[in-house]
Amino acid sequence: MEQRYEGNPRAEIRLDGRRVTRGDVTHDWGLRLQWEVRRNGQVIATPNARLDSSYQHPDTVPGRYEIVLQMWKYIDYRKRPDGEFIASRFIDISNKVSYTI
Amino acid sequence: MLNVGKVNVPVCHGVTRRGFLQVGATGLTGLSLPNLLNLERAGAVEPARARIRNCITIFLVGSPGHLDTWDMKPDAPAEVRGKFRPIRTSVPGIQICEHFPLMARMMHKVALIRSLHYRTGATHENGQRWMMTAHDFNADSVKPHSGSVISRVFGPRSELPPNVILPGPIGNTGAGPLHGQTSGYLGSAHEPFFLNADPAQANFRVADLEVPSGQSGTRLDARHRLLAQIDDLQRRTDSRTTQMHDSAYHRAFRLLTSARARAAFDLSREPDRLRDRYGRNTFGQSCLLARRLIEGGVRYVTVNHFDTVFNLSCWDMHADGGGLNNTYLDYERHLCPQFDWGFTALIEDLEQKGLLQDTVVAVLSEFGRTPRLNARGGRDHYPDAWTNFLCGANIRGGQAIGSTDRIGSRPHNFPIEPPQVLASIYHGMGIDLDNTMMPGPGDRPIRLVEAEPIRQLFA
Repeated sequence: MEQRYEGNPRAEIRLDGRRVTRGDVTHDWGLRLQWEVRRNGQVIATPNARLDSSYQHPDTVPGRYEIVLQMWKYIDYRKRPDGEFIASRFIDISNKVSYTI
Repeated sequence: MLNVGKVNVPVCHGVTRRGFLQVGATGLTGLSLPNLLNLERAGAVEPARARIRNCITIFLVGSPGHLDTWDMKPDAPAEVRGKFRPIRTSVPGIQICEHFPLMARMMHKVALIRSLHYRTGATHENGQRWMMTAHDFNADSVKPHSGSVISRVFGPRSELPPNVILPGPIGNTGAGPLHGQTSGYLGSAHEPFFLNADPAQANFRVADLEVPSGQSGTRLDARHRLLAQIDDLQRRTDSRTTQMHDSAYHRAFRLLTSARARAAFDLSREPDRLRDRYGRNTFGQSCLLARRLIEGGVRYVTVNHFDTVFNLSCWDMHADGGGLNNTYLDYERHLCPQFDWGFTALIEDLEQKGLLQDTVVAVLSEFGRTPRLNARGGRDHYPDAWTNFLCGANIRGGQAIGSTDRIGSRPHNFPIEPPQVLASIYHGMGIDLDNTMMPGPGDRPIRLVEAEPIRQLFA
């Protein structure tokens, strides 16, 4: 029996300067929760978001930064030859925020 | 053979000194309070001494690697230490995997046992039997699940069964059907109650709590009255006048007609916020249900994290490229976060409800995993060393009992064998292991568990 994951997780995040804070996740699947940080469209960090509800990315390299909260969505265990999952993936579960340095 | 006081062991006051757990040849299906009273009179059980009244076992089917979870070796060569880093915990000197950040904050409640090992075959089933029955495989005598032992000794506390397994039985893990989760020689009355449903499902319901279609309440009452008449007739002709029948049929009827039992299984009574805190998944909701069942009077709940190791993401990290293709990615994104979230929710919730003080939560698994990564970057079965842990009741948290060598290949000090874990739980529940016996080879009585409790576990 595969683990069942009910509902669709959702959270609101807000930006205060460069610090992003999340609210509680509703319909939380309990899987990896992470911030996805992009600079000029490229992913530069994916720190864990479980322990603390607030995060500030340390980089001050000039650019446009965009942050969203993500959760792992498990579909099945199958993987490509390079080891990455085929169907299971991270999904955005929050609104996006951005700032420019 | 299930029998109390049948074997003639002379003592000065005429009561047998030892309480034997043997199922009778007549097929006696179980005894409740009178058996407990007999065991108490024989000195085999002292509930007043017990600091553990309930047990929740979380069984991590598939078995996480100890070097990637709770016994990390950051100074070992790369092919041993693996990909994860250790993090500090609330206990100075104890570190665990970075992917258990919430558990790290409550390590002062947890007693790690880092030197578990056994020497028989490295199959999932062997490990399951060792950890859930305290015995090795024996086709002539199937040993009972620990919850069935507790059911046999203490009987039910309410209309709910004393021994429940969530969400269902362990299925195919590769080497046969005996997973240590049956009542064995104790008989059907002590068979675990298997939920056989997924508590994470939106329309979750327990089929065994519903009256079969075509059976009205009137018909059910009539059948129950007939059963009571038959039981009354049996009691009058039974030579054991002090014993009361509490057959599996009566228990099933009580379960079927009890509003309290239905309420215990009703997760919709929990606030959404709490259900989210456990995780909206089969494991998390099973842990929440376990808490509700303990509240409702169940003595022993087992949560099987998985029911197989094949073709799904689970702890069995062979990375084989086929049906056992679990890797570090499964641990990092799925398994460790799911466990961290659900386990810590359970501990917090039990404590908040005042249940943790007399409930032990035992997190058990089948074995460790090979110290050196295999050719595909995974780890294989390894019973020579692994880590399990307990918390709650009078378990002294904030300690690591035993240790392994510098690459986690074998116990370095204080080696512990699986029966010692169950011996500890039984001891904590007030069972005198020197005076509670079970049938051995040729019906010769042997100790319930061939091991002593781990004294260091207890405060």
